[in-house]
Amino acid sequence: MGLLSKKDAKLITDPLADNNPITIQVLGICSALAITAELKASIVMALSVMAVLAIGNVVISLMRNIIPSKIRIIVQLVVVAALVIIVDQVLKAFAYELSKTLSVFVGLIITNCIIMGRFEAFALGNKPWRSFLDGIGNAAGYGLILIIVGFFRELLGSGTLLGFKVLGDPIEKTGLYAIGYENNGFMLLSPMALIVVGIIIWVQRSRNQALIED
Amino acid sequence: MENRTDKNSYTILFAIGMVLVVGALLAFAASSLKPNIDENKRLEKQQNILYAMGVNENDDSSANFVSTTDAPELFKKYITKQLVIEGDKVTEDPEAYLIDVKKEQAKAKAGLERKLPLFVGEKDGKTFYIVPIYGKGLWDAIWAYVSIDENMVVQGAYFDHKGETPGLGANIKQRFFMDDFIGEHLLNESGVFKGIDVAKGNADPKNENKTDNEVDAIAGATITGNGVTAMIKADLKLYKPYIDNLKTN
Amino acid sequence: MEHIELFFKSIFIDNMVFATFLGMCSYLAVSKKVSTAVGLGAAVIFVLAITVPLNWLLDQYLLQPGALKWLGAEYADYDLSFLSFIMFIATIATMVQLVEIVVEKFSPSLYNSLGIFLPLIAVNCAILGGSLFMQSREIPTLGLATTYGVGSGIGWFLAILAIAAIREKIRYSNVPPALRGLGITFIITGLMAIGFMSFGGMLTGGDEEEAPKEVKTVKVEKSKEDLEKDKVVANNIKVNE
Repeated sequence: MGLLSKKDAKLITDPLADNNPITIQVLGICSALAITAELKASIVMALSVMAVLAIGNVVISLMRNIIPSKIRIIVQLVVVAALVIIVDQVLKAFAYELSKTLSVFVGLIITNCIIMGRFEAFALGNKPWRSFLDGIGNAAGYGLILIIVGFFRELLGSGTLLGFKVLGDPIEKTGLYAIGYENNGFMLLSPMALIVVGIIIWVQRSRNQALIED
Repeated sequence: MENRTDKNSYTILFAIGMVLVVGALLAFAASSLKPNIDENKRLEKQQNILYAMGVNENDDSSANFVSTTDAPELFKKYITKQLVIEGDKVTEDPEAYLIDVKKEQAKAKAGLERKLPLFVGEKDGKTFYIVPIYGKGLWDAIWAYVSIDENMVVQGAYFDHKGETPGLGANIKQRFFMDDFIGEHLLNESGVFKGIDVAKGNADPKNENKTDNEVDAIAGATITGNGVTAMIKADLKLYKPYIDNLKTN
Repeated sequence: MEHIELFFKSIFIDNMVFATFLGMCSYLAVSKKVSTAVGLGAAVIFVLAITVPLNWLLDQYLLQPGALKWLGAEYADYDLSFLSFIMFIATIATMVQLVEIVVEKFSPSLYNSLGIFLPLIAVNCAILGGSLFMQSREIPTLGLATTYGVGSGIGWFLAILAIAAIREKIRYSNVPPALRGLGITFIITGLMAIGFMSFGGMLTGGDEEEAPKEVKTVKVEKSKEDLEKDKVVANNIKVNE
């Protein structure tokens, strides 16, 4: 990280573990539950959020001195929504295939509280470059959890990873299924996402005792 | 010292300015991109219709449309007739594929006569009748193009959705789900319309029995599956009189 | 009847937290104590009850394709539905800040107990979710939209009240240290959601018109013609070849 000073680098590495948006800051849970039944969707969502959060953070940071504090929430929401809608429309016009894959996520991104949360907590008080890094870092931390949850849910729930049948074919009874293994369809349901996140928190806090709540 | 940005007058001015800027940006984006978006949607409909009658570029596992550049030409080649059924009246309309099924459903609800678009395709000497249907899944709209033959046996289907859960309900547009419909009968043994149930706990997971009016549901996507069942039952039924007519004539 | 059905459906079957997993962030963050949970829950009911009908009006008379008919026939073709997100959000954020200002002015004591939650509500996806569901499920009348808003709010209230009560009691249990707080809350919520899934069968009374299944002893023999037909059907050709 020769390009970044130590302080700047911390903006990226902190949210990956000790200040993770999902497991520590409790932001962006809804989407973590909704779309992690599949690893691919988790990755797409993580990348989309990274783009929106990084750009949005920069925009808000540039506007931080002119936003009236009384209506700052509306301003923040409007910035995200406008950004996402414009990107969606542009994609629909010029990259229709891509937009069809992403259209599911549009609503989830706008309502994702991780975006509002970072605007409020960081971008409103910091310079654009630092806000940009904060956006990247937090989105990466968020994406990391998403991908871990997506990995386990897809593997245990449908026996596939990114659509590839890694455990054999459940109908033809090949691979693991030949010796009596069954997919756990329960993993595909949202309650299991909550429980998986709970277990991730358990593991994380067991390794770093400082994070334990009273 | 009061901050400049806390003043009421400033707040109001800022709000007005923001509304103007954002409104202008969005309106500009929407209106300048509209022709492109409409064109894309038009091509997509053609691709969907062609897909349902088996004109596609499917490989072993994934569903692929014909390319957008070929779509209009192939559409002309394979779709021989585009019909609009209104009550007893059947008319030809070269723009029938642009009919908004959702709007027509709303019309029927309001007690008005609805238009039923039907596309007739020919491929390898076989005739396909392609029907657009529209319904509701868990989060938002789901729709499909189903091609059937004179006996109302499904010849192909393309399902799509606006915002179903990825990995669950969204899988209705995967090959493994869509292909299950091929060969399924919409009528029961005595020729009465029964539809196709997306059934949980199906006794026939490999879908070998094509006359049981059932396909296997996607695990964890009950509500989307129910939506599919409902829209097949409600919409395809309306075409039965017309298809029956074909046989007698 | 319609109202009662929608009301209970939105509380139990389509429960915002347990069925659609909306509004999770504030649900998890503000459920440490029953008293604060009640405050936030009440605020959510209030805001949903106002914004859902309000957005219903917006949707009906401004955003839907053809909604501008009341302006004159020449406006009937406009489709502003691409603006729904931003309009709904603007309504919600405006309402929330309006409520904040009004409450602060007229009831400082209520403001003190509720005040800090109001900004939280603007970012609560349950609120926007309520409006978006109202739109996508095409709720037909203003009255039903209000019922839906209130019902969803009560459902959310119920959920946060329940988890807060459990979290207060769980302090007396011996939870593994690393799971204490957030971790165990996630897991309990998951278990509660599984419980709530059993409401899914309510109101539908199980599967509709479940006719006794005929036991088929003889498989239907297909005629040769039919079999031939089935073969032709499934071969998807590659057009480019």
